[in-house]
Amino acid sequence: MTRILFSDKLDNCVTRWQSAGFSVIGPVTKDTFSSYAAVEHASDFDLGIVLPDRSLKELFFPQTEPMLRYTIKQQAINTEDFTPPSGKRLIFGVRPCDAAGLSIDDPLFGWDYKDEYWFQRRNDSVIVTIACTKSDDFCLCTSLKLAPDTTNGSDILLRPLENNKGWQVEELTDRGREAFLTIAEFLQEGSEPAAPMAVVPEMFDLDTCVAWLQNPENFESKFWKDISMRCIGCGSCTYLCPTCHCFDIQDEGDTYSGIRRKNWDSCSFALFTMHTSGHNPRSTQSARWRQRIMHKFNYFPGKFSVNSCSGCGRCSRQCPVDMGITETLQKISTLHS
Amino acid sequence: MITQEKYRSKAKKLLADGSVKMVIGYSPGSTADRRRPLFVRSFEEADQLVLDSNCIANLSGYLVTEGLLSDEKRVAIFLRPEGIRSLNILAAESQLNVDQIIIFGFDSIGREVSSLSGEHAGEFSELISSIKENPPEKSSEPLLYQIEQMNPQERFAFWKEEFSRCIKCYACRQSCPMCYCRRCIVDSNQPQWVNTSSHTLGNFEWNIVRAFHLAGRCVGCGNCDRSCPVNIPLRLINARMAAEVLESFDHFAGMSTTQEPVLASFKKEDSETFIL
Amino acid sequence: MSETFEPKIIAFVCTYCTYAGADLAGTSRLKYAPNVRIIRLPCTGRISPMFILKALQKGADGILISGCHPGDCHFTHGNYHARRRWMVFRSLLDFMGISPERVKFSWISAAEGGKFADLINNVTEDIRKLGPFDQYKELIMETEAPATL
Repeated sequence: MTRILFSDKLDNCVTRWQSAGFSVIGPVTKDTFSSYAAVEHASDFDLGIVLPDRSLKELFFPQTEPMLRYTIKQQAINTEDFTPPSGKRLIFGVRPCDAAGLSIDDPLFGWDYKDEYWFQRRNDSVIVTIACTKSDDFCLCTSLKLAPDTTNGSDILLRPLENNKGWQVEELTDRGREAFLTIAEFLQEGSEPAAPMAVVPEMFDLDTCVAWLQNPENFESKFWKDISMRCIGCGSCTYLCPTCHCFDIQDEGDTYSGIRRKNWDSCSFALFTMHTSGHNPRSTQSARWRQRIMHKFNYFPGKFSVNSCSGCGRCSRQCPVDMGITETLQKISTLHS
Repeated sequence: MITQEKYRSKAKKLLADGSVKMVIGYSPGSTADRRRPLFVRSFEEADQLVLDSNCIANLSGYLVTEGLLSDEKRVAIFLRPEGIRSLNILAAESQLNVDQIIIFGFDSIGREVSSLSGEHAGEFSELISSIKENPPEKSSEPLLYQIEQMNPQERFAFWKEEFSRCIKCYACRQSCPMCYCRRCIVDSNQPQWVNTSSHTLGNFEWNIVRAFHLAGRCVGCGNCDRSCPVNIPLRLINARMAAEVLESFDHFAGMSTTQEPVLASFKKEDSETFIL
Repeated sequence: MSETFEPKIIAFVCTYCTYAGADLAGTSRLKYAPNVRIIRLPCTGRISPMFILKALQKGADGILISGCHPGDCHFTHGNYHARRRWMVFRSLLDFMGISPERVKFSWISAAEGGKFADLINNVTEDIRKLGPFDQYKELIMETEAPATL
């Protein structure tokens, strides 16, 4: 016997969570485009998609966020901080790869400086993940040693029932337990079996790739030039990535008043490393693509012991020239280190 | 298939006798209907070339890759009619020497691919004129018509909604063959003309600036529209601008390698009904 | 609202004709609406569409652009180039939902002080009727507001 949340009770749950003070967020499709967005009713959720076009990270690390307002009057400089919005959030129907993305970025944002914008939102949010029963050609969680029912970063894991009428509930954290306590009356004990997990074929051998990347001789390999020849240097892959976290600080305004903002930035852009002098240490697109791969599978795990990729496959799915992590690592795994 | 074989053997011949150093074409992609750009440098690699109705991307932007043409060697490239038009513009704007380019022209109706006759930019002028004379039906773009029927407030609200999704990844710019500036206006910060932040205002400004820079230059290849990861219908703005320059100045972008850029030229009798 | 709305209008003018025309309006002691801030540029050919966007970004309700009549340009054809550019930019703004009523263009020579004063009055009245550019100001406000999610 396991606890079961039946889909026909979901709307009651949403209402209950809302009255318990949560803003309820979930995958929503508008026209042809999907993202995690606030909902009013359970019917607003689109739980049928493989995964939303946009990743979960932007609910924790928005594309642009005001940090402080400054005003300068004669000699006096005044600043006023913007604090991240507070308020409990329950994010329902998260994909395991998106949730895992959050847990990958946690050590990064809390490493030498604790990023309050990130952690305030992290602490305010309950992540209710639904394990995947379907996947598409681009999913690669298994290649990253994760799975369609990975629990990293989640507070609750829901396993879809075979009869498609609800989910088995697995409580993973206290935060999750607390949120599900409010809807305890809508949960039932049951023995319905869970649907089989999506079958995500392994696309490459990660250890072989990592060994190749760690070999300093391969830094200048001709491979990088060949693989990234068609890269046009847009930032789609980094901006849709659930773990890419680079940002830029911009002052918007004039000499006397303005707002300092934290904006997404991307290692795909030439401007990312451009020096004031005009010198650019990563002057070619191949150097930038190498940086992205090296950072995800060599530098980041070197520091935080986890690969900076959760295998959602958005980079390959959305790439205008059909590149992506999958293709690159697939090719690397066939090279001799 | 016949066209694909024809161009494959042509690519092999040109590479073998050294008359081109590279062929830019398409290869199979990660799914059955995806095609990815391919750069063929040797006889053997030419067998990877594919040509079918899924070969949609306009590859001409790769021609202005830094250093590609500076050795004055020749390069062959697969282009649809729009691609040939954008090549003409790049030549007219002195971005490349068109004599270095061999065109593998093709077009498709449904799934049927046919080759275009000619291999130098100048040989396609009749084809381009006929495209100018036979514009696509207005009904092919119902959304454009809908937007034109709105009042300004409704139009503003429509674009506000669309641009609120923009994440400023600049995929539109990077995929566009016309966006070859070494330093884009949004990347210049002295002065900072438009907001670089990706709030709706900054997104509005960015998309207006880009559309204006493309006015009279866009050939409607659709690269920006397809590459937009948040599905903003960018083609509509550019199509509207193309219609404007055609109506007002009889300018059809990419007619020839010597065509004067529409906004860098003028006629004394240009319309000025809007000027008080 | 009992107070009448006073629009903020930015005028980009060329120094050789319209600015001299404004000067003439002043020295002739002509009265005109005080809602216009004039920015003097060497030629209408120098007036980049960026200026219009910047003015809107800074909260302008209306914009006026003015220079020499065709044939009178100090640099012989700066205004011809400008005319084409405006034609296209105007239609772009219109398509984006920024009403062309808010962005006006005119030719005013150094001898037309009277026309300048009348034009400023008319443009001010027109924009006053349209009201503040609230839709754009909402976007500006949003940039100053804290994050919502």
